[in-house]
Amino acid sequence: MIPEKELLSLLTDALEKSPADGTELMAYGVDSSLTRFADSGIHQNVHENDHSVVARVAVGKRIGVTETNKLAPASISKAIERAVAMAKESPEEEDFPGFPETEQAPEVPSYDQATAEATPDRRAEGVATAARIAGEKNLKVSGAFRTSNASVAVVSTAGTRQHYDATDAFLSVLAIGDGGESGSQEGYAVSVDDIDIEGVTRSAVDKCVAAKNPVDLAPGEFDVILEPRATAEIMSWLSFTAFGAKEVQEGRSFMAGRIGEKVMHDSITIYDDGRDPEGVPIPFDFEGVPKKRVVMIENGVARGPVYDSLTAARDGVESTGHAGVATFRGGPGPSNLFIAAGEDDMEALLSRVKRGLLVTRFHYLNGLLDTKRALFTGMTRDGTFLIENGKMTNSVKNLRFTDSMLRAYSNVDGVTKDRQSVGGNWGGIGSVTVPAVLVRDFKFTGATEF
Amino acid sequence: MKEILKGALEDLKRKGVEYADARRVRRLTEILVMKNGVLETASLNESEGFGIRVLSAGAWGFSSSSELTPEKVAETADRALAIAKASAKVGDQRVVLDGQRAIVDTYENGVKEDPFEVPLADKLAILSGACDGMSRTDEVKFATASLLSWRTEKLFLSTEGSDIEQTIVETGGGIAATAMNGEDRQTRSYPASFRGDYSTAGFEFTRSLDLVGNAERTGREAAELLTADECPARNTTLILGGTQLALQVHESCGHPIELDRVFGTEASYAGTSFMTVDKLQELRYGSDIVNIVADATEPGGLGSFGYDDEGVPAQRAEIVKDGLFVGYLMSRETAPRIGLRSNGTMRADGWNRIPLIRMTNINLLPREGTLDEIIADTKDGIYMDSNKSWSIDQRRINFQFGCEFAWEIKDGKKVRLLKNPVYTGITPQFWGGCDAIAGSSEWHIWGIPSCGKGEPGQSAHVGHGVSPARFRNVEVGVRK
Repeated sequence: MIPEKELLSLLTDALEKSPADGTELMAYGVDSSLTRFADSGIHQNVHENDHSVVARVAVGKRIGVTETNKLAPASISKAIERAVAMAKESPEEEDFPGFPETEQAPEVPSYDQATAEATPDRRAEGVATAARIAGEKNLKVSGAFRTSNASVAVVSTAGTRQHYDATDAFLSVLAIGDGGESGSQEGYAVSVDDIDIEGVTRSAVDKCVAAKNPVDLAPGEFDVILEPRATAEIMSWLSFTAFGAKEVQEGRSFMAGRIGEKVMHDSITIYDDGRDPEGVPIPFDFEGVPKKRVVMIENGVARGPVYDSLTAARDGVESTGHAGVATFRGGPGPSNLFIAAGEDDMEALLSRVKRGLLVTRFHYLNGLLDTKRALFTGMTRDGTFLIENGKMTNSVKNLRFTDSMLRAYSNVDGVTKDRQSVGGNWGGIGSVTVPAVLVRDFKFTGATEF
Repeated sequence: MKEILKGALEDLKRKGVEYADARRVRRLTEILVMKNGVLETASLNESEGFGIRVLSAGAWGFSSSSELTPEKVAETADRALAIAKASAKVGDQRVVLDGQRAIVDTYENGVKEDPFEVPLADKLAILSGACDGMSRTDEVKFATASLLSWRTEKLFLSTEGSDIEQTIVETGGGIAATAMNGEDRQTRSYPASFRGDYSTAGFEFTRSLDLVGNAERTGREAAELLTADECPARNTTLILGGTQLALQVHESCGHPIELDRVFGTEASYAGTSFMTVDKLQELRYGSDIVNIVADATEPGGLGSFGYDDEGVPAQRAEIVKDGLFVGYLMSRETAPRIGLRSNGTMRADGWNRIPLIRMTNINLLPREGTLDEIIADTKDGIYMDSNKSWSIDQRRINFQFGCEFAWEIKDGKKVRLLKNPVYTGITPQFWGGCDAIAGSSEWHIWGIPSCGKGEPGQSAHVGHGVSPARFRNVEVGVRK
């Protein structure tokens, strides 16, 4: 990785030479390694080293954006020149508020030296541990073990000068039995030292053992315990379809026109806090704006979305520090999302279910059916279990649900105090830290053959 | 740079590796998105680097860098070898590659009008003209138009002596109109949803889409959906238009025939496949009229190229013949495990990713007649098109798709516009119910530039040649 001083100096020099009225340079560096395993052996094992600079320029209110992964001063200047040329030919963007003037972002615990220096041998040893533990139960493991080191720097002619280093480590383990049954678990943290390889693997193995010989179950409405990863997948989709200001302003979000209304159960509070170390924190967004804590849903009431500078200007508020990368303006989104912890433990949730289901995770969730109703569909996978009289009894074949997440999260009857940080679903910066949730009358609409 | 990479491969050979290849890739990506006349995204991305893949002691290692210097090449090669050695420490599998001849060649796809030479003003005129056209309908509150272009220059070198240079240019675009009336919100797209249609071709393809000429109709169709009835839930005959059928082929045929997925390499992430090797030449995948090929040689297909990223020539392979499952998408590593050779489907999403088995152009071969004739031949059913949502289980059996619009069909006529349609099914049952496929006059290869697979994530450009088709006994809508 390029040291902070050297990178900021490179960007600042380029900024000073820019012929644009306003210029913002965002540099993103990555040194990432990922070891993939299947059938208890390593089959893909990769490393990448890359740096990119995104140049966003303003000529009056005309905007141009270019990106290059060549970091020589002449290359960055050329990227700026190209952006200026694009801007000059582009129509004016009336709403453009100028590049944000930012305060210095406070440091957050986003970096771990051991993770940045993790070797292929260390990841291989982790895989070997997972394979050994699964082998004790005659199971095979598949999954991925990633250790990443990234840096982000933003400078602009509005005075922004920000930099941070970040690391993360991600382990997913899928235990598979002879009959095709499977169980899975994952770990995600800033530090590879915080990945509990044995714990993650034993959890996946225990699920897989319990998942043997699944029975058919006709679809219908069931009380369901959504374990943290199942809940996290729903929250990741809602981050995309509902929690960003652009989604609200353009009427796609279920929150559009409903700010202040009750949309979920009292026990559900959803917030984003970029600096909270219980998730995977980062100090500022891709415009260099420091992260603010934003409550999107408070005790079931819709409070509002997260903002970048453009959407904030449109609503006459301040950016909350949730801008995406300028090369593709998808709008702002949460980066370190939480559901507030409840007061229950898993046993308490189970005890409240007379006949229902426990869902470990989902596959191929889709939240685009009707975004205003937050209507989702998806399949269960890697551990779906029948609960009878407060106890998990049989494993059941995977089911498809189709239901409104507003309806589902209005029917909550228990939230655990323990939460899990989940990352990697979207493959980028950020995490979702959530409890398990008991939902009454969750609507399953189909079944598959395994 | 080529000589430096060749030197690195020679050095790896001297160190005793079984095989190594090096790819240098330079890709330019232009994204233009206009919404309501405002240029929401105008970006030009340039990415260049190299990756070295090493097979040592039967295991793979890969390392890549954007620093194109002799020192970084040497460091990256050494790191790839060290990673391969770490891979070999876990598991008892040993990679064996099929035999392929070394190839020295160049390839460029046919381009009449280089999209990167087209003045920005010309592109903006298309975008603004399309936005204006859609906005002529009062109910249209968001009119979005997109144009995307890519130029990818690839060098492939291997320790077996291959030296292949390819340049592939891709273009395309699309429009979407979102109508709102206070109670509802509906979107119609052209020529396909999720940013349109794409081709390995020059800007002449983008011009041929006539986004401006189709904009007003698209806006009007979005508004019409606002007052349409909800699609009812029932078991019926389903007719799929081309853009939705392309995604149906993609999800229920294209992914499950990836042989790496069949062998479990994606098990923990994207899933596996119900089309296991014991089903090859045995499984009745569809009805007798269902014929599917994987064809990377089809001019203009977004999954067309000269050579894959293992240096294997592009080719046409039978996948489903007269309803019988007869073939996979294969790589040099996976094909020998079932006694076959690669059919050239390994592609990487840039210099910093390893090649994976990816769809090429997975094509449902045309039969006869037209969509109108199929509708006229249908007593009772529903016609749907233009994808809105997608979901399928991890073995690719149970699927559910949502579309932008549907028409109820009675006695051979479209009688009622329907909104929010979805359908669901079980893959072999669904294709087994296929009893009509339109002819070549309506056959088109739809380009999808966003097929996801792998960790770290990769996005592939793939194509699907289809003409509208009919399916019996399909569950439509969501039952209460």
